[in-house]
Amino acid sequence: MSAREDAAERAFRALLRAYPPDFRAGYAREMVQLFRDRRRVGHEAGMRFWMEIVLDAARSAPALRIERLRATGRRGNQLTEGTMRPIAILAVLVGVVQVANAMLEWSAGRSQSGDGYSVAGVALGLVAAALLVGAGIAMLRRGRDAAALARVAAVGCLVMVVLIRFVQPWMSIFGLLLGIGFPIALLVFLFLTRSSGPASRMTA
Amino acid sequence: MANARKETIAPPQLPLPPATFQILLALVDGERHGYSIMREAAERSDGTVRLGPGTLYGTLKRLLDAGLVEEGGERADPEMGDERRRYYRITELGMTTARAEARRLDRVVRAARRKRLIGPEPA
Repeated sequence: MSAREDAAERAFRALLRAYPPDFRAGYAREMVQLFRDRRRVGHEAGMRFWMEIVLDAARSAPALRIERLRATGRRGNQLTEGTMRPIAILAVLVGVVQVANAMLEWSAGRSQSGDGYSVAGVALGLVAAALLVGAGIAMLRRGRDAAALARVAAVGCLVMVVLIRFVQPWMSIFGLLLGIGFPIALLVFLFLTRSSGPASRMTA
Repeated sequence: MANARKETIAPPQLPLPPATFQILLALVDGERHGYSIMREAAERSDGTVRLGPGTLYGTLKRLLDAGLVEEGGERADPEMGDERRRYYRITELGMTTARAEARRLDRVVRAARRKRLIGPEPA
């Protein structure tokens, strides 16, 4: 190979860096072969040839990179949907457990004091549980604003549990962990998956 | 490799992009390597269709993904020396798609003739 051919091929190999790595891995050898064939067999050279080569790369490389990003996005969506469903079911289950727990707390509180605070505590506990169940259902239904609704419900649940702690100081450790820990975990999950739009993911 | 790709992307809808149809048309006669596909498309179109390396292999990748084309192994082309080349061949699905696109184009040309946009078919 002449020095001129060698330099031309090196320039073309440099141009191939514009393509996605997986595409290069599969086709770079053949693309270089095609480039070489066009020069040697087709006797193509000069400014027009190079313009054609560069324009072809400028047209095809971005398109292939966008396709690659879309394919990665689709895989990401599948992963998030796969994770979203168990989290949603867990939110519903935790909500149901919270209802049971609120009843137990009410029963325990009534036996100790029997005042109106117990009733308020139970009512707040039921609202917190309903909010969690609502968050889970919103995530399961994959509505357009599912992630936003789940976020609002989780924050609402957190506020309710903090209020319960004030009106019902004898709230159990289990109730506290479940009532505060789970909404925080849910908010962290929704925050971590927010970057490519959890709502749009769920509708995908 | 081609089978694994087939599951990810659906077959292209009509109308096919020009490069896609040109490649399928080149492969209708039998399997070809990249340079042979490019040369066939250029010769058939009197040099107006020139498939660059990125367009050619980008389109071939999509066709492989969609199951319209499959790899036919590697061997040297006796007309082009000892270097081994990867050959591509059209699948049944590729044939059906190419035929559908040819019929669509034929309908377009016939409509253009009816409207006297172009002259009658040469004898």
